[in-house]
Amino acid sequence: MSFADAVTLAPFIAAVLVAAAIILVDFALPGRKVPALAAAFIGLGVTALLVVMTGQSGATAFNGSYRVDALTTFLDILFICIAALTIAFAPDYLEERGLPVAEFAAVLVFAMSGAMLIAGSADLLVLFLGLELMVLPGYVLAGYHKNDGFSTEGAIKYFLLGSFSSAIFLFGLAFVWGLTGTTRIDGVASVLTQIVTGKAPLSPALGMGLAFLTTGVAFKIAAVPFHYWTPDAYQGSPTPVTGYLSVGPKIGAFALIIRLFATALGPLAPEWNIVIIVLAALTMTLGNLVALTQDNVKRMLAYSSIAHTGYMLVGFAAFGAGKIQGLEGLLYYGAAYSFMNLGAFAVIAAIQKRPGVTSNLSTFAGLMRREPALGVLMALFLLSLTGIPPTAGFFGKFYVILAAVQAGGWITALALLAVLNAAVAAFYYLRVVVYMFMREPDTEIPVSRHGRLVWAGLAVSTVLTLALGLFPGVLLDLVNTAAKAIG
Amino acid sequence: MNSISGLPLTTIVTFLPALGALVVAFSPGSKPNMARWLALGFALVTWVVSLAMLAGFVATQGGTQYNEAYAWVPAFGISYHVGLDGLSMVLVVLTTTLSWISILASFLPIQTRVKEYMISFLMLEVGMTGVFVAQDLFLFYIFWELVLVPMYLIIGIWGGKNRIYATIKFVLYTLVGSLLMLVAILATAFTYAQTTGSWDGAFDVQKLIAFAGQGHLNGTFGFFAFGAFALAFAIKVPMFPFHTWLPDAHVEAPTAGSVILAGVLLKLGGYGFIRFAIPLFPEAAHTWAPVIIVLSLIGIIYGAIVALVQPDLKKLVAYSSVSHMGFVTLGIFVFQEQGLQGAILQMVNHGLITGALFLLVGVIYERTHDRTIAKMGGLGGVVPVYSAALGFFVFASVGLPGLSGFVGEFLTLVGTFKAIPAAAVVATFVMILAAGYLLWMFQRVAFGELSDFLKGLGHHLTDMKPIEAMTVVPLGALVVIFGLFPGLILNLIQGSVQVMLVAAGVKL
Repeated sequence: MSFADAVTLAPFIAAVLVAAAIILVDFALPGRKVPALAAAFIGLGVTALLVVMTGQSGATAFNGSYRVDALTTFLDILFICIAALTIAFAPDYLEERGLPVAEFAAVLVFAMSGAMLIAGSADLLVLFLGLELMVLPGYVLAGYHKNDGFSTEGAIKYFLLGSFSSAIFLFGLAFVWGLTGTTRIDGVASVLTQIVTGKAPLSPALGMGLAFLTTGVAFKIAAVPFHYWTPDAYQGSPTPVTGYLSVGPKIGAFALIIRLFATALGPLAPEWNIVIIVLAALTMTLGNLVALTQDNVKRMLAYSSIAHTGYMLVGFAAFGAGKIQGLEGLLYYGAAYSFMNLGAFAVIAAIQKRPGVTSNLSTFAGLMRREPALGVLMALFLLSLTGIPPTAGFFGKFYVILAAVQAGGWITALALLAVLNAAVAAFYYLRVVVYMFMREPDTEIPVSRHGRLVWAGLAVSTVLTLALGLFPGVLLDLVNTAAKAIG
Repeated sequence: MNSISGLPLTTIVTFLPALGALVVAFSPGSKPNMARWLALGFALVTWVVSLAMLAGFVATQGGTQYNEAYAWVPAFGISYHVGLDGLSMVLVVLTTTLSWISILASFLPIQTRVKEYMISFLMLEVGMTGVFVAQDLFLFYIFWELVLVPMYLIIGIWGGKNRIYATIKFVLYTLVGSLLMLVAILATAFTYAQTTGSWDGAFDVQKLIAFAGQGHLNGTFGFFAFGAFALAFAIKVPMFPFHTWLPDAHVEAPTAGSVILAGVLLKLGGYGFIRFAIPLFPEAAHTWAPVIIVLSLIGIIYGAIVALVQPDLKKLVAYSSVSHMGFVTLGIFVFQEQGLQGAILQMVNHGLITGALFLLVGVIYERTHDRTIAKMGGLGGVVPVYSAALGFFVFASVGLPGLSGFVGEFLTLVGTFKAIPAAAVVATFVMILAAGYLLWMFQRVAFGELSDFLKGLGHHLTDMKPIEAMTVVPLGALVVIFGLFPGLILNLIQGSVQVMLVAAGVKL
């Protein structure tokens, strides 16, 4: 490793060191959360600084297997924000249940470093390494409440299906490597270009490889019909973890899709895009329809997160059809979705602070009277998830649909399906608002006090949810440059 | 910007209620009266601002006035562009007027969660005014959706027994229409960007209309895009068969909610047709016109017939809205100068008259907690002032010459007769029905012996309180003024009418 390599890789190295530092701090001052959290936040701040300083350079490391471009920078910052917000929301909830805070933060930062590795990978093996580094801590987090049966059950399901899909994915990678003779992403792309233009034979094995890869990533983003692990894993996990799982690994997996499909398999776009279109249509429709019938808000948001995967896939389908706006829309949507969904889960976690409080709809009855601030914020996040302007969720949908309309053909039909789905989704999101604003609780639920970190995190999510809806300009520039790195 | 002042008046009139909502939000929750008076104060100031704008409005000048335009999302050519032409001006004043009246009318009936109610109402006003002043499709869409949330809360929290069903139905109906419209908006903007090679102005209403004038939005694309716009507006108007949310919403909404719903929200649909759907897709508008005219006629007849058999006062007024709003869409889609003028007048008049009728239904409901017509009877002897007011607005709604309701329907029918005589004949016949259901209702409620049910109320059955009278008197005055001098409105809207007719390709 040369010094230049180390500089290029600095944010990733910093992220791993931050995770290690949190553990060391916890080791030196056991059981005290403040030093560990301070280490986490300072470390994440430094990492973010490094991302910005080394960003946008186009530099490569390790003979071109790791590359930093504008997309890497954009995604890295997003991952750091997700991690920081999750760490802000978690302590209140964890402490009430006697779960250690420092280890949680450390595991989470490890997961984040994996996502960052994906964002910067220029090689299929690095991509896979990043994926595993991202999801393995996720299994741990899902089962973090280890004496809770549901948490363990969810974690086991998540782990089994997750490793299963990783294996399928790896199998697909092997096919691609076998047929193209390289694991470099640009190398794969150039060989595939030759195949597509007819200079080399197109083999059925390549089709198989493509199918395996698609299946593998479809599991990771929880696209229908590969979504079955999601509801149980999400409902069982401790609520702050659910918030993270619904956002972090999802955006990470989308980063993987972008790196893999958009770049390495880019020449085969006409082939895989049909699959993406079908997946998008199924994912948003089924996710929404099943969400309609849920009485548990966490489970409902799990299905709704499946639906949001579908909307993001609409953007990706538009990109597959040659519209760079599709990728921009996907990135915008990803950022918007992260903040509003994390916010919504943060409110649920705050309500569930006292152990034993369920996430059923009835818990939300009369929230507006009980804790008006949480009620208003939850309403805002839900409206944003519905896509009502002027919120981040609206502009995300706007962007994705705009791209789909531009792509024309079947993808315009997908846009129509997406808005009809959004109307369906309004029903179940507003149902929560009905409970919060318009119903009285059957049993009195005591008001809990929430820590400053929770409020700070909620303030950040709120401001971002509103700002990304009202003043999209700033983020637009960022997603523009990020998308240009690919297109 | 208008010459009379350097202030951004359009922005002020739109967002002043939002400032009010913010102030109310920080008022102490233990003092509901403070929230009430603050809300009323802000609504009144907004009203005064809108009147000042009306005074400074140059009626002879075509196009929009009080323009303000700032780049907002330059990447897509989205701008914060607001301004008013005559039509917008009239509807903005209608909105600000009905808003303060509704807030005043809520003083007595709304006793729980007053602060939240007032915040919702002020935000509702922001959305409504915004729709009428937006000159950018993106901005328009934002305001259009912004209307939805407060209304959802107003019906859902302060409504009647079935309020949750009604409010969700209202939101879902509206949302389906508006989301499809969003796709059409985006497709239109993209067509513009693709043809001109730049996103600059892709959402600007005037630029798009000019673009449509060159025939770029015709053909299959226009057909479907108009369909999406028309669906959104038809649901809002509401046109038969998309009207089923309306009776539920009206019956469950608190009085002031019904007033705003009938007075302004339904007008958003008519306004949308005139301002956006027809000028943007003139060819498709002509293609679709027969369908819309037939649906309007069905709506006019159907609304009247159903109103005839309604046992519930509020439902009767709600269905009469369906019938009356049918005249609006009919007048718009005959593409005829008088027809369009009549439609716009009808929009304003319906807002004033039906708004007042809902207020009056609310007044009696406050005392009886019942709206069944059969239980009423003989009100005239006990509460003469109330009965006189009810009678006045019933006659205005029937279309008594001299009152404003007459002029709108008359002009609409004249226009329709020039274009499609048969349709005019059908619609005129329905006016007799309207006289039937309204006068019959008035007779059952006001005349005859005092009913046992009302006798049982004893001294609770009081006549109108001053605060209640204050809400209907201004509306009554306007009904008389516009009935005698419809030119006041016609002059204002003349420019808008010409612009729309030219855009629709009608030879004047």
